[in-house]
Amino acid sequence: MNMLLPGMYVAADSALHRLDPRVKMGGALLLMALPFAAQSLGSTLLFSVFVATVALLSNAPLLALLRTLRTVLWIGCFMFFFYLFTTPGQPLVALGGIGVTWEGLLAGAMQIYRLCLLVIVASLLTFTTSPAQLAHGLEALLGPLGRVGLPVRELAMVLTIALRFVPTLFGEVEKITRAQQARGADLRSRRPWQRVRSWGPVFVPIFVSAFRRAEELATAMEARGFRGAQRRTRLVQLHLTRRDLAASLVVLVVSLAVLGLERLA
Amino acid sequence: MLIRVEDLTYTYAPGTPLERAALRGVSVEIGPGERVGILGRTGSGKSTLVQHLAGLLEPTAGRVWLNDVAAHGRTAAARAQRRRVGLAFQYPEDQIFERTVFREVAFGPRNLGLEEAEIVTRVRWALEMVGLHPAEMEERVPFTLSGGEMRRVALAGILGLRPEVLILDEPTAGLDPRGRRELLARVRDWQEETGLTLILVSHDLDELARVVERVVVLEGGRVVADGPARRVLSDGQLLRAAGLDVPQPVLLLQALREAGWEVRTDRLLPEEAVAEIAQARGLLEGRP
Repeated sequence: MNMLLPGMYVAADSALHRLDPRVKMGGALLLMALPFAAQSLGSTLLFSVFVATVALLSNAPLLALLRTLRTVLWIGCFMFFFYLFTTPGQPLVALGGIGVTWEGLLAGAMQIYRLCLLVIVASLLTFTTSPAQLAHGLEALLGPLGRVGLPVRELAMVLTIALRFVPTLFGEVEKITRAQQARGADLRSRRPWQRVRSWGPVFVPIFVSAFRRAEELATAMEARGFRGAQRRTRLVQLHLTRRDLAASLVVLVVSLAVLGLERLA
Repeated sequence: MLIRVEDLTYTYAPGTPLERAALRGVSVEIGPGERVGILGRTGSGKSTLVQHLAGLLEPTAGRVWLNDVAAHGRTAAARAQRRRVGLAFQYPEDQIFERTVFREVAFGPRNLGLEEAEIVTRVRWALEMVGLHPAEMEERVPFTLSGGEMRRVALAGILGLRPEVLILDEPTAGLDPRGRRELLARVRDWQEETGLTLILVSHDLDELARVVERVVVLEGGRVVADGPARRVLSDGQLLRAAGLDVPQPVLLLQALREAGWEVRTDRLLPEEAVAEIAQARGLLEGRP
């Protein structure tokens, strides 16, 4: 495994690691919603500063954190061009019938920037929160929906399992890739169609092993007496501390400040 | 082929909190036709080392030379040298992806750009080498085979490349004792028949004692011993320091020696130990 992926937990100790997962998840949700409301320069700036501060507090390796942005490279480009070509305004260049506007350029850049902030916030959450904690937090946050029939515990379990196997799957892709390269597979072909086809030798084995793994996991869970529908108790109980309350307050105040700045602009 | 590893260092995930040095300054030289075992406990760097020999990993520091060409290079010369090295990963059956056994084994030879007739010849040869009947197996779906058969199909896929250097990473892991013995016997036969260089990664001492003539011991990413199998594998102190067991026959002979028997302790296989004890007993009772 040669890189850090979003969704990967980095075991360490920091102010962020010690926070209650419910607070972290609630905070992250709020912060991830904020960029959609904050369109002005001032509010975006304040928001960026706050995210940067949290990133420093998290003890996360900053370079690795920035590298997680690669995962949204393509969707980012797509958004950029979408805004570039569809925003009306002062024309910058006109290519046939399609016009590129100054406003479009700005809006596109802004969208990319916001997308990056979203990814950073999400990565900070998963870097500092173990899958078990995430599931626990999710279960607590979705708790009220359980009364209207949402299978909250099952959803939390599915999420835990999915997150748990992200690094495993990537490790497997790496191993199989090398194994097929050792058999002379050319996985770096320049022609797109050939490139897609050349990945068959990698993806078929990955799917096969994913299904086998799922079956084994199901058996292992049943063997340990796991029954989804039963009301289960927990080994670790969550307790809100004063630190958690303080953190919640900070996030709320910053959010209000961002919205306030937005109002002023 | 001459393989030279010079001061090889490799670090996984550099610059992240998951950073881990797998190899720290490994130097080894392996000549043509040698049978070398790479021994070490889990996490000692064995698999990382052999992946470098196949040019699959780029050294963090140091070099790996295949006939004086850098193994990881992007030149045509480097690619040509790499093609002469065949590496079977641990649990090679995990890499099976084709619809039929024939297509699976043909994947490697096809990537070499061989003629169809040559591919067919090689696939049949490789299947026979691993003890499978080409006529029976060729059209079967690999995923319906037993674990042992899948392992053999996967190994045939590597043999079909006709490598000059064959690297097997824990080839018998997860096989039953009989499957293990058969596979090892075949490995020895291939080696004798073709004179290829054989590199066997294992932590099974009995397995190494039966197949290789030289053993390199890795511990913590460093080479802690490199020498004739008989010497290295009977050095209890060294093996224990590397977190490994001592072969049972060696333990028995050492105990006998301490009890005053006139026996040599560098007998690695049970049958060798039996012969040694029989001889010593003969001496004891005054028989030749």
